[in-house]
Amino acid sequence: MENLEMLLMGFSVVLTFQNVMVTMLGAVLGLVVGAMPGIGSLAGVALLLPLTYKFNPTTAIIMLGALYYSNMYGGSFSAILLNIPGDSPAVMTALDGYPMATKRNRPGQALFTSNLSSFIGGFIGMVILTFMGPALAELGLKFGPAEMTSLLLVAMTSIGWLVGESPTKGVILTLVGILLATMGMDTLTGSPRYDFGNMYLLGGIPFIPFVIGAVGFSQVLKLMTERNKKVDVNLTQKLTIKGSMLTLHDVRRLVPPAIRSGFMGTFVGVLPGAGATTGAFLGYAAQKAFKSEKPLGSGAIEGIASCESANNAAAAGSFAPLLALGIPGSGTGAVLLGGLMMWGLNPGPLLFSSNPDFAWGLIASLFLANLLTLFISLGVIPFLIKILTVPVRILIPIITVVCVVGSYSTSNSMYGVIIMFLSGLFGYVLDRNGYGVAPMLLSFVLAPLLESNMRKAFIISNGGLGIFVDKPISAFLLLILLAIVVTPVVKFILRKVGTRKQ
Amino acid sequence: MRKIALVLALVLLASVSVFANGTAEAAGGAEKSFVPTRNVDWYVTSSPGGGSDIFTRTITDIAVKEDLINGKNFVIQYKTDGAGEVGRLLVSNIKAGVQADHTLLTFNSGDLMPMVKNTSNRFQNFQPIAHMAVDKHLIFIGESSKYTSAEEIIDALKHGERLVLGGSKGDDIACHAALIKELGITQDQLSYIAHDATSGAITAILGGHFDLLISKPAAASQYVEAGKLTPVLALSTSRFPGNLSGAPTLSELGYKNVEVPNWRSVVAPKNMSAAAVSYWSNVMKQVSETEAWQKGYIEKQKLVPDFMDTDTYRAYGMKFQADYLESIGKSE
Repeated sequence: MENLEMLLMGFSVVLTFQNVMVTMLGAVLGLVVGAMPGIGSLAGVALLLPLTYKFNPTTAIIMLGALYYSNMYGGSFSAILLNIPGDSPAVMTALDGYPMATKRNRPGQALFTSNLSSFIGGFIGMVILTFMGPALAELGLKFGPAEMTSLLLVAMTSIGWLVGESPTKGVILTLVGILLATMGMDTLTGSPRYDFGNMYLLGGIPFIPFVIGAVGFSQVLKLMTERNKKVDVNLTQKLTIKGSMLTLHDVRRLVPPAIRSGFMGTFVGVLPGAGATTGAFLGYAAQKAFKSEKPLGSGAIEGIASCESANNAAAAGSFAPLLALGIPGSGTGAVLLGGLMMWGLNPGPLLFSSNPDFAWGLIASLFLANLLTLFISLGVIPFLIKILTVPVRILIPIITVVCVVGSYSTSNSMYGVIIMFLSGLFGYVLDRNGYGVAPMLLSFVLAPLLESNMRKAFIISNGGLGIFVDKPISAFLLLILLAIVVTPVVKFILRKVGTRKQ
Repeated sequence: MRKIALVLALVLLASVSVFANGTAEAAGGAEKSFVPTRNVDWYVTSSPGGGSDIFTRTITDIAVKEDLINGKNFVIQYKTDGAGEVGRLLVSNIKAGVQADHTLLTFNSGDLMPMVKNTSNRFQNFQPIAHMAVDKHLIFIGESSKYTSAEEIIDALKHGERLVLGGSKGDDIACHAALIKELGITQDQLSYIAHDATSGAITAILGGHFDLLISKPAAASQYVEAGKLTPVLALSTSRFPGNLSGAPTLSELGYKNVEVPNWRSVVAPKNMSAAAVSYWSNVMKQVSETEAWQKGYIEKQKLVPDFMDTDTYRAYGMKFQADYLESIGKSE
């Protein structure tokens, strides 16, 4: 109950005219930044951070918190409408969002699903953050290198659900993703790998331009070859909020995965070094284990709901270690941490007790931002879906410009743009030959985490494998891994035995 | 009233710029004097919000507030490509001219070490401007540690116990190397885990995943206050003040002191004109003498103030580079 009182106090901090305005500003900026491919929450917060150095710290963090948070909404817009993820967590949203908008002809409903599940996931994350923040942060600490390694191995198996029809092609692309992720400076010893003497490659392949290229720009290339085709989207429904409403049946399909992902996403957000992208990937992969009315990847509401809810919940969850322990749960968290120092605060385990108005004001502002963003984003749906009526020949140059700007802005250099073009070509070739890029992107995200955690675990254990089974959490996760790997084999054998008996 | 204030401000502005001109001329001798005629590009090769950013922002804020740069402004450019190497190469290659005179770069020992290790770029390719401050290291134990002091830890290591030390990159790694050399133990006895940032190492030791943590004072201080970390050894020639004073130096334990300072400095393109060099060096000196710098930065970040002018810093940096190259077996 004490936490509830503190939260109410937080609301008294937030509900001043000035702070509501900055929350609103943060929410709108976050939506815009999130909707622009390439400028994800990390870049968005980093770009705006210097502007806030002169603010009072509470106001500054409220704005950046709202921006970070609403970003998770915006990222899905272009993913659903153009098949170009606005930020990295939205890669998964595109898998079902785009087919739902185009093939199933329900763009409004796809956006509605995404917004509503974002709200649900975020709300769950914030409630957990309010009541269990510090406890959850302590639990996150229990996840050391060995535990993270086992968890990431479990996560890696989820790639198996993404490979689609051809397992061989899926495995090849998974390995390509891992190979590409190893380029640049090795995270533990700082030795250069596969840099071919090129200074740019020393920093590795940046994820955002890589995603924009592989998913977005390859889409442009595809559209170019089909530019003379008639736009096959005929919007039969009205371009209004009413016409975009979900049916009761849709809502029933949406709520269970959104709630499940909400809990899971919050937990992933708390883990050291994970974050919204990993949250979304895992949320989507976990949905594969549950029943969906339509197969995932064909425009299923469940697919959109599971990853959108998870990424918003993870964004909320990542505030738990940041506020309770002064430890960033994600890249964006790390930038915010730097901000805390610039604003004259001492982030760390004493923040809650030494600056309660700040910490609880931030949490309260997340609740407010969640609600405001939901209304704003539902309100813009009718305008957004008009994008689908834009003729392809006009859309192509526009998307290209957006891709270039987005990949340039990640490091303010042409390097990102070159990576974007190259991975776009690569993605196009893959697409033409029936390879889906999702396994490559997932392994690209997870491989560096897996590598650094596994190597750290081996340093701790002096090379022994025992560390993975001696630690209870790690052992439990390995059991799950075993179950995931063995179940299909057992099922296969049982089926063989069954048919033989007949 | 307002008019008077305006006139006063103008007089102040004029006198400050005259003063700045005067010192530049005095230092530059017969050469032409320099004042910034346009906004200054200040390069930072790591992300906003990090240590280098805070260092840079503090200096630029003070310089602008104290009106040290002729009413012009700083534009901070973040160049993080290639782990910062691209930005450093870019600055070192700027040709003589207006651009070179209006470009500065934040440069730390943590930048120098990977640069000389992984690329052919060297300290001598830059124009040293000023050395501003030094950060040193301490070793900490976590709440659940079975040891309570450095003596016990060193004793355990000497008796064949295997311990793991976690920390950040760059100078932390160099510190570990110097420490095991002084203690006469091997890499396998005191293994090192490098994290992307100190916060990652703190997360892991709070969870009890390894035994010892190496950190600069500012990053760990809050955790010491909260009772979650205890300093056990100061890697410095003297003890640290405040809540870190409990940690002895190595010389108190009968060894030679180990100290790998992480210094923070400002450099410029090699082709910057002599007049501009002395102008900027003088600006940095004035910044380092302000209260905002001493109280708001040095004290808060628990750094050691250590201003060096261009020439002193050049000699220091060259020696640091030579020592480091030798330690990694790349002597030139």
